[in-house]
Amino acid sequence: MSALRLIPRGNAGGNLSQMMGLSQMGRRLASGGDGIRLMVGEREVVGYGINGRPIYFDSQDCPFPAIRYREVTPELCAIREKELGDWKKLSLDDKKRLYRHSFCQTFVEFQHFTPEWKICLGVALWLVALGLSISMVLKTKMYGQLPDTFDEDRRSAQLRRMIQLQMNPITGISSKWCYEENKWKSQLH
Amino acid sequence: MLSITARNLASALRGSLVGTSSRVAAVRCLHGTEESAEEFDKRYEKYFSRDGIDGWEIRKGMNDLLGMDLVPSPKIIEAGLRATRRVNDIALAIRWLEGCKDKCGDQKATLYPYLLEKITPTLQELGIPTIEELGYDKPELALKSVYDA
Repeated sequence: MSALRLIPRGNAGGNLSQMMGLSQMGRRLASGGDGIRLMVGEREVVGYGINGRPIYFDSQDCPFPAIRYREVTPELCAIREKELGDWKKLSLDDKKRLYRHSFCQTFVEFQHFTPEWKICLGVALWLVALGLSISMVLKTKMYGQLPDTFDEDRRSAQLRRMIQLQMNPITGISSKWCYEENKWKSQLH
Repeated sequence: MLSITARNLASALRGSLVGTSSRVAAVRCLHGTEESAEEFDKRYEKYFSRDGIDGWEIRKGMNDLLGMDLVPSPKIIEAGLRATRRVNDIALAIRWLEGCKDKCGDQKATLYPYLLEKITPTLQELGIPTIEELGYDKPELALKSVYDA
């Protein structure tokens, strides 16, 4: 819900050589090479945000992001002029516009329950189905027969030998075998 | 070139060292002594009502407060609102109100009316609308999916 949302760069005009001019290359490098400073465009950087990078996202843990959501426009500057005066003279619409200039979504909007769980559950079930089908294909097509030692008579011969060697005589398998009667102790009475 | 760099570096270091030493002292003082709720309130009230506070510091203080496990007292909320008035940013004031309402958590029914009652004079004085007046107690706009943009 509070997914990190990077803002696309405002002016899409201009070709690649203009976009990656020398000065912008410098800014790109100065911002760590990922171009976040370029994406900010004309937006004001107004605070520290969550990690000092000029990124915008809505979350209740850090409700005041580092930049304003929208770029400055002449209409907004007019409202800003009014904002300098008495706030009682601002209309409700102006207040809302100022809010939406600084922030993308209100608290109730970004906390609103979304149907995102459906895609999460769907993808999880798809992955389970994929895993099951892979293991079924492997079982039927790739793996051969089990080794001979898994046969019933071989396994019982193994068990007999373990008892003859008196393996684990205190708490283990031989402790449960009665050597006088040649029987399991549980079968004695 | 090197001498200029060295001089800049030296002055920058001096500034940061002098700056930190007082700050370190302030932090150290807090060690071992429990800060009472009144002192805490007073500290943040003082922080917000400082002359010459700018939007950067207001955001920092509000982000910190809303990150703590507490509901800001009405005094702090009022001081914050007045600070936003001084930097002429009503969006910040509305967001601050929303954040304080959100901090009430599952006690919204009892705590929020109390907070609102206490801060209403300030709201009216400054001309800040409540969340209900703005209609921000219910979702107003839906976000367009990034895949449709």
